[in-house]
Amino acid sequence: MLRKKSIIDIDSLSMEDIGLILSNADSFLEISGRDVKKVPTLRGKTIVNLFFEPSTRTKTSFEIAAKRLSADIINFSSSTSSVKKGESVIDTLKTILSMKVDLIIIRHSDSGTVKMVDRFVNIPVINAGDGKYQHPTQALLDLYTIKKRFGKFKGLKAAIIGDFINSRVAKSDISLLEKMGVNVTIVSPTMLLPEDFSGMNVKHCIDDVIEESDIIYVLRMQLERHDRKFYPSTMEYNRFLSLNMDRLLKMKSGSIVMHPGPVNRGVEITDEVMDIGGELGKKIAIEQQVTYGVAIRMAILYLILG
Amino acid sequence: MGNDKKKNVLLKSGKIIDPVQGREFVSDIYIKDGIVSEIKEKIEIKEGSTVEINAEGCVVSPGFVDMHTHLREPGFEDEETIESGAQAAVRGGITTVACMPNTRPVIDSQSLVRYILEKSRESACNVLPVAAMTEGLNGKAITEMGLLTEAGAVAFSDDGKGIKDSKLMYEIMRYSTQLGALLILHEEDDFISKSGLVHEGHYSTILGLDGISGLSDDLMIARDIMLAVRSKARIHITHLSTKSGLEMIKKAKEEGVNITCDVTPHHLFFNDSCLTSFNTNFKVKPPIRSEEDRLALIEGVKKGVIDAVASDHAPHLDTEKNTTFKLASFGTIGLETLFSAVFSKLCIEEKMSLPKLIGFITTSPAGILGINAGKIEVGKVANITVIDTKAEEEIKKESFISKSKNSAFIGQKLKGKIICTISKGELVYRSE
Repeated sequence: MLRKKSIIDIDSLSMEDIGLILSNADSFLEISGRDVKKVPTLRGKTIVNLFFEPSTRTKTSFEIAAKRLSADIINFSSSTSSVKKGESVIDTLKTILSMKVDLIIIRHSDSGTVKMVDRFVNIPVINAGDGKYQHPTQALLDLYTIKKRFGKFKGLKAAIIGDFINSRVAKSDISLLEKMGVNVTIVSPTMLLPEDFSGMNVKHCIDDVIEESDIIYVLRMQLERHDRKFYPSTMEYNRFLSLNMDRLLKMKSGSIVMHPGPVNRGVEITDEVMDIGGELGKKIAIEQQVTYGVAIRMAILYLILG
Repeated sequence: MGNDKKKNVLLKSGKIIDPVQGREFVSDIYIKDGIVSEIKEKIEIKEGSTVEINAEGCVVSPGFVDMHTHLREPGFEDEETIESGAQAAVRGGITTVACMPNTRPVIDSQSLVRYILEKSRESACNVLPVAAMTEGLNGKAITEMGLLTEAGAVAFSDDGKGIKDSKLMYEIMRYSTQLGALLILHEEDDFISKSGLVHEGHYSTILGLDGISGLSDDLMIARDIMLAVRSKARIHITHLSTKSGLEMIKKAKEEGVNITCDVTPHHLFFNDSCLTSFNTNFKVKPPIRSEEDRLALIEGVKKGVIDAVASDHAPHLDTEKNTTFKLASFGTIGLETLFSAVFSKLCIEEKMSLPKLIGFITTSPAGILGINAGKIEVGKVANITVIDTKAEEEIKKESFISKSKNSAFIGQKLKGKIICTISKGELVYRSE
């Protein structure tokens, strides 16, 4: 179904594609739980992890996913600062293409670059984070996490908290969750929202959603994408937007906390909440997201190249 | 072609458009030694050196006047030269261009104005230099506007940059009244537009591209109208992009402010939904705005609140456009598609009359610049464009004459093809 298909944004995935990725993830999750975590499915295939922006978990996640499927994966990192006028994106691609690779996984800090790359090459491309545009595999692993926790999507209430305007995760997640019937509320201050947010379900304080939400999705404050000081201070953020112990205790039973990582401790989520154990700790689904991420990415690689 | 250049020309049976009177009539035109010598129904010429062009079924218009172009010379000759830009202009039916001063060096001294005039003596169309308002476009020190006027500057502009210093802008306006000079204003508030790439709105949000709010243009338009009221300066707002800016200009006109404005074909043609392809040829300044803004601009042209259409021809190399959206340069070329774009949009789609449309690219900009152009008159040097209004063409990257190919119109099917152009009395362009 996904054969030779690129994954650029959520809109270009059909409900059928999404269903297929989720159902395949189940079997790949099982493989990751085995003692020998490897199947020969993609033996002989070459994948390039092309990261023009720093990343720990997404890059590692794709790398592990590829390796568990027995594909050869090559990491290519380049800091954007050394990239002169972006021409080297094209030049780098030309070099990589002449080495006969089968799939490119790409991350870049400039919105639209993944689409540009997809137009340029004739092999499948996976968007691993495209500027402030989209991050579709993150949204898919988030969806899978929700599926595993709730067993359903329709009627769930999700609140996405924080830096909306600079977040590619928010754009992909909102698009995907709404597609699946989840009610999404964005909780963000005016300076992290577009000028016109009519038509969006918007609140400005986490307290407005904390009690009723099934999913509290905390966004990372994208400090690296702020070209000026967007928000007054951490104290101001803590007052209106951070997830602290008081707020965690107000969450309804069965509800969960998600975050795309890495967390700015003390900004979006307090230390106390991050390190909580026991029954309340089960609300925090952040590590599960990472585990499920590998399964989702295995499913995607398999469906495209298998 | 080269051999026909100096020959006399007889245009047979074309429909002549007179935008001044708003009328059209079928007639022959005879151009002898570069001068329009006769306009009458049947002209028989027996001289062997005459090129006869059958213009039957075609429209014969005064050569177009484009009051906003970038010819890139001196300094950026790899993108465009006066010569190549003039060739592109006449292919688009344009016989007079006003070129902006953001070259390297900036056109801010008499010698540079003279350089442009000298270089353009042999070029295919008339080239009128616009000189800078501030030295090196620094926004800090006023240029020798008096001397520049004497050297032949047609107008003054810091195009590409807004002047932040309100006191300086006011002094420039006051001085322009003493000189009778026209000021062409690029309205942009740096604090608002900084780091912005596209119109701030729905599409900038979903595409994750930094926005440039309409406030960037509007704040400066509001300020400059106030300064013009106070100084009584003659100001022209170029490449208008917002509905609210248009409303302010309309009100100012009603109150008797000496203000005019122009709009580009791309702001009339596209709205910001075109950005979903991340095609960098749509990255322009001011940005292509919302559908609401676009529709308002079209109404502005129809109602005559907008006075002229100008290309804002901005050539850029492939390497400056074939990169990420953030790193790509701002601008689209526009000389060769000026007529076909506005004809397709305003006449075919919006049912504007052809003589009216032609006024926006001939007599009206000529009037704003205060030059004698945009008319076909017996006894005057011939500047004439022949158009096949029925022909349709798909715009292709490789078909441009301009040294740069960064056109937002690539892939569009446009009506109205330039058949030939007579500029400075010579037959300088004929389509194949």
